[in-house]
Amino acid sequence: MKKIVLLCAAGMSTGMLVKKMQTAAHEKNYEYDISAHPISEAKQAAADADIILLGPQVRFSLGKVKELCPEILVESIDMQIYGCMDGEKLLDNIKEKIGV
Amino acid sequence: MEGLELTAFQIISAVGTARSCYIEAIQSSKNGDFAGAERLIIEGDTAFNSGHTVHAALLQKEAQASELVLNLLIVHAEDQLMSAEGFKIIALEFIDLYKKIFI
Repeated sequence: MKKIVLLCAAGMSTGMLVKKMQTAAHEKNYEYDISAHPISEAKQAAADADIILLGPQVRFSLGKVKELCPEILVESIDMQIYGCMDGEKLLDNIKEKIGV
Repeated sequence: MEGLELTAFQIISAVGTARSCYIEAIQSSKNGDFAGAERLIIEGDTAFNSGHTVHAALLQKEAQASELVLNLLIVHAEDQLMSAEGFKIIALEFIDLYKKIFI
């Protein structure tokens, strides 16, 4: 099962996006392990992740997270997708990158 | 998703992007890239303004309604908005400082 880790300042707003993504994944029959964590826990939480996604509010840490997890794909979440909490669209974007 | 929750996320997303831009502007000027820093401040301002517009519309709505609408997510959104505003001031000061060091 592929693991998707979302990071934001406190894990609060991304936590809600994760719920949307989990619902969308369930409907599409994608087997993903999706979770949200505060960026301070990046190293432990994302250790075995297939992709790490950063919320717009922590996008400036992209370089640091890439350094911390050099072998994992790290990307930031599009502002429009985040603002609309479009879990389905985000999930489709991820699928294109890491497969199911 | 609709209503207040969506409004909160629109604000968080926009001003959160702005805050990231302002911090990235500091990072650019730290590397001596002042043109890049300026671009990021403008990009940040555009994102901030879109978040501010959503917030202002919410204030107007509240002024018109007799009932007070508030939840923790909106408080969180306003917190992010304040943070972005503060970071812009800090970013501009830092860019000036790095200019003194580099130029």
